[in-house]
This record gives sequence, structure tokens and C-alpha cells, in this order.
Amino acid sequence: MRGVTVSFPSPGGAVMALSGLDLTVEPGQVFGFLGPNGAGKTTAMHVLLGFIDATAGEARLFGHDVRESIARQRIGYLPEHPDTYRFLTGRELLDLTARLFKLRGAARRRRVEESLATVGLYEAASRRIATYSRGMMQRICLAQALINDPDLVILDEPTGGLDPMGRMDIRRIIGELRDRGKTVFFSSHELSEVELVCDTIAILCHGRIVAQGPAASLVAPGEHLEQVFMKVIAEAEVAT
Amino acid sequence: MIRILTVARVVWLDVIRRKDVYVLLILLAILLLALVSMNLFGFGGATAYVADIGLLMSWLFAWVLSLSIGCRLLPQEESRGTIFALLAKPVTRLELIVGKWLGACSVVGLATVCFYALVFGVSMLRGWSLPIVVALQAVALHAGVIGMIVAIAIMFSTRLNSDASATLAGALTATSFLVVPRIPEFVAQAGQLRGGILLFLYNLLPHFEIFDLRMRVLHGYAAVPAGTFALVLGYGVLVTTICLAIGWAAYRHKRFTRGSLSGY
Repeated sequence: MRGVTVSFPSPGGAVMALSGLDLTVEPGQVFGFLGPNGAGKTTAMHVLLGFIDATAGEARLFGHDVRESIARQRIGYLPEHPDTYRFLTGRELLDLTARLFKLRGAARRRRVEESLATVGLYEAASRRIATYSRGMMQRICLAQALINDPDLVILDEPTGGLDPMGRMDIRRIIGELRDRGKTVFFSSHELSEVELVCDTIAILCHGRIVAQGPAASLVAPGEHLEQVFMKVIAEAEVAT
Repeated sequence: MIRILTVARVVWLDVIRRKDVYVLLILLAILLLALVSMNLFGFGGATAYVADIGLLMSWLFAWVLSLSIGCRLLPQEESRGTIFALLAKPVTRLELIVGKWLGACSVVGLATVCFYALVFGVSMLRGWSLPIVVALQAVALHAGVIGMIVAIAIMFSTRLNSDASATLAGALTATSFLVVPRIPEFVAQAGQLRGGILLFLYNLLPHFEIFDLRMRVLHGYAAVPAGTFALVLGYGVLVTTICLAIGWAAYRHKRFTRGSLSGY
């Protein structure tokens, strides 16, 4: 993303959600995208996914303009409050999603089964999604995001509302993706989670990056990410 | 094409599992049985009378289904938040709109064929003879109307929530059904300015009445000449394409925000 600015019209004047955002994610990284509520994390993700056109600047995915549908061929996305077609069974949902990526025949069926196994929903795959718990819903949506074996996985608050077991599962899946050389770009308010899994961290405040770097260099030995986060945000608030 | 068909398939599964169609089919069957068994004004069980009411109900139910399904498909994706996961896939917004239209048209079209089969079946059991060619033409042209109504519903729903689009699309299509065919009568009685406005509306609004072959079916008139039939269908394709194109133009740069119904 280069100089990405997004403003929303509002009765009291335009609201600036992103202000000249520059961001590059290197392949193979687990990239933690942090910031307080309203900092612009989700907006930045939505620009990256082509849901919102930037008011200024440009966003590219694998060299393609994000508004081109081909740019989304190699990505997977889990929204902040994942929901899906509850009238389908888990297996039907993944099968239909695989068709959107033009996967055919045996390859499609294999990806469906692999994705179900990855998120641990093999047993419940024939049940309607309407009967799933919150955690199962999160996992089937994650399976949907992984169906095309994406090179870049974008996760917006993937552990929000999950119990400790669910959070551990998500951490495991992120770890597996990293081991397979995939790039994971995720936002979270669970700073302890971020500390555990991220290689690189960027902190966003008022639509700008206020700190960015390898996790090891941002967080000094003996310090916690939470302390760094609070300090950086406080400094950014004073500066504005 | 595979993406359009996949989007259409989701619509199919949604509608089939919601059971709206079954309810209307059962309602129509009960109505027809009641008509056959009752004796109103001394015409009880008269076959043309049963077929007339049955076909009217088929048109009414198809209109209701087209509007209710067409108007909710896109707003529902936004209110559920499923639009985000869907548009994160390599699906263009045009494919999404065409897929939704195709799914809704095909499912309402199939339901309408079932309505017709039920009406014709019950009427034939009472000794009515079915003019097959006209009946097939009537079903095909009715499918054309369904395509137009669904396209109008989707056009409105690209920018409005489902209730608002159902209201507007309902008002527009009801006006086209009931008022547009009578506009030439009004023009004859109106002054120059009013007459001009009425003529403008007459040309602007869709003409559903040219698709309605119920009277030909009921009275066993001759089939519509092939050229006229093709021309009417072509008109339906044109109106449908224009509505979908307007819908796409309104939808292609629409901003989606968390949990929004209408975006910005």
C-alpha cells in the first residue's frame, strides 16, 4: 500500500479513516497489524481486499491492482465477525467456495477434505452451519479462507470471542501456515497472542503507521508488547 | 461462467431450504381444490373459471416470489456480513449480480412451471382441453416477465435495503401491470402537456401486458405468430439487460462497511 488515504463522508465533515498509509508485507512473514479501536485496521484490510476504493494512493496484491479479481486468486480472508450461509452444511459451503476458485473434480474434493481436517471440523462437516457453535462458525469460515491454499492469509481479529481452546487452535493454524511458507497478515487486540506468533508488527493510530519493525526489535528483552503498545499510542495521541 | 453458476446455486439452495415456494404451491393447490368443490354464483367447478382464477394466482404468486427473493439477495449478503468473504474471492461484482439474477429467475421460473402444471392439471381433470402451443408460449413469456421483475428488484437492492427495494420495485411493477396498459386511454382525454408526460411514462415503464397470454389460453385462441413471440421475448431481454446494467453501475464502486445495510 502506497500513500493510501480513505475518507468517509459524514454529516459533520469527512472522517479520515486512513491517512497516507504506506505498508509492505514481505512473503513468508506473520505480520501483526495492531491499533486501538477506530485506528483504521479493518479499513486498511478492506482497501487491500477491494471492498473500499482508496480516496488517494494505491494498493497492490502480488503486483496486481486490488480491484482486479485476479488479485484475489491467491489470498484467503477471515472477516472480523465471520458469518456465512447457515442453510448450507460445512462441506457444501467449502465445495461451493472451491468452485469460485475454479477448482474441479478430485482436486476440489481433496481441498475440501483437507480444509475440514485443518480446522478440525471433519466430524461436523455434514451438519447445517446453523447448528454450529460460535467457535465452529469461526473455524468453518477459516476453512473457507484456506480452501484455495492461499499464499497470503488476511485475518481480521481471528481470535475475537473465542475460548482459550479456540484461540490455541487459531495459533496452531497460523503456525502451520508459517511453516508452509505462507504469509499471514492479521489484526488482533490480543497482544499476548500477537507476541507469540508474529515476526513483524505494525502499530496503527489515527490512520497512520506509528511503529513498525521485527517483533524482536520493537519489544526489548524483559518488556511486554502491551507496554510498547501503550507507550507508542500515548506518544501518537500527544503528537496529534 | 462457473462463478455465476456457483452464485446461482447458492440462491437455489437458500430458496429451496427456506420453503417459501412450497407454501405458495400448497396454497394454490388448496385454492384450486376449494374452487373445484365450491358452487359460487351457480358456476361451481366450471373449468374455465377454475383455470382463470388459477392462472391469476400463478401470476400473483410469481410476482410475490420474484420481488421477495430478488429484493433480499444482495442486502442479505451485507446484513449478514457474508459479502466480505464472498468478495474476497475472485468474483467480480458483475458476476455476483448476474449469478443472483440467474438463481432467482431459475428458481421462481421453476416454481411458476409447477403452478401452471397444477392449474392445467386440475382444469384438465375437470374436462378442460389444453391448447398446448399457446400454453407453452404463455409459460415462456411469463418466464420473461419474471426475468424483468427480478432484474428490477436487484437493480433497486444494489443501493437500498430489502424493504425499501421491495416497496419501490413492487410499486413500479404493480403500476406497469395495472396502469401502463390503460395510459393510451388517459392520453386521449388529457391536454397536450399531460398527454406528453403520460406518453413519456408509457414508453419508459416496462410493458408486462404484452407478455400476458392468459386470455388466449383460457379461450383457446390461436398461438402468437413466431415473429411476434420472438419480438416480445427480445423486448424482455432488453429491459432485463438495462436493469441489470443500471444495477451493476450502482454496485461496482459501492463501499462496504462493517455490518452496513447500504454502505456509502
